[in-house]
Amino acid sequence: MSDCQDVIRQLWEYLDGELPAGATEDIRGHLAACAHCNPQYEFQLRFLEALVKGYVAREVPRPEFVRRLKAALDEIGDDLA
Amino acid sequence: MSDPTPDRRSAFEAEALPHLDAVYRYAYALARDRATAEDLTQDTFLQALRHWEQYRPGTNARAWLFTICRNLFLRQRERRAREEPTETAALDGLAAATQSFAAPPDAGRALFDAPELGDVIRRELDKLPTEYREVVELSDLQDQSYADIAQVLGVPLGTVKSRLFRGRRLLQEALVDYARDAGLLPPPGSDT
Repeated sequence: MSDCQDVIRQLWEYLDGELPAGATEDIRGHLAACAHCNPQYEFQLRFLEALVKGYVAREVPRPEFVRRLKAALDEIGDDLA
Repeated sequence: MSDPTPDRRSAFEAEALPHLDAVYRYAYALARDRATAEDLTQDTFLQALRHWEQYRPGTNARAWLFTICRNLFLRQRERRAREEPTETAALDGLAAATQSFAAPPDAGRALFDAPELGDVIRRELDKLPTEYREVVELSDLQDQSYADIAQVLGVPLGTVKSRLFRGRRLLQEALVDYARDAGLLPPPGSDT
C-alpha cells in the first residue's frame, strides 16, 4: 500500500500513465480514500486538462504555408525520381 | 538514393504528412515565431523525405520527425550561439525556485474556472525557457511518452522527467501568481 509521500512523489507519472500496472492500482486506491492526496491530484489533473484546452487555440499551419510545403515536396520528389 | 520513389512518396504521405500540424506546433514551441516555425517545419519534411529510408516503418513517425526538427533547430541556434547568452544560469535558478511548490487550498476552483485561463497559459508557456517548454509541449500537447521524448531530445529518461515536472511547476506557480494578482485567490498567508 502506498503512503502519502510516495503518492505525491509519483503523481505526475501516475497522471501520465507511465507507472507499471501494480503501482497504478496502488495509487488509484490510495487517492480514492485519502483526503490529503486527493485535492493535490484534482489540482494536477485540472491543470493538465487546462493546459491541453488552452492550447487548442494555438496556431496551426497557414493554408498558404501548407501549399508551399507540398510544392517543395513535389519538387524534391521529382529530383529523387 | 536507392529507394523506389513512388513507394517512398506514398509511404511518406501516409506516415509522415499526417503529423504536419504536430510538427508545426513543436517547431513553434521551439522557435516562438511563425516565420521560423514554418521554415523549420518545411526543412523537417524535406529532410524526412530525402532520408526516408532511415525511418523504420511501424515505429513512432512523429517522434522521428520531432527529432529531425529539433536537430535542425539546434543547428540554427548554434550558428547564433556566440551572440546569445546561455540559458543555463537562468535554468538553474528557476529549477531551484520550483522545488517547494504546493497548490494553495482551493486554488483549483478559482483558477481553472477563469475564462481567460487559456490566454494566460499560452502566455506563460511562451515565457518558459526552451528546455522546459519543449518537454511540456512534447508530453502534454503532443502526447509523447517519456521514452519517446528522451529519444527525441537525446537525453536520459530522468532528465525528461525532471524538466517536465519543473516546467509544469513553473507554469503552475505562474498561474497561481496570476490568480493572486487578478484577485481570484487571496494573497499568501491570508486567511479566507
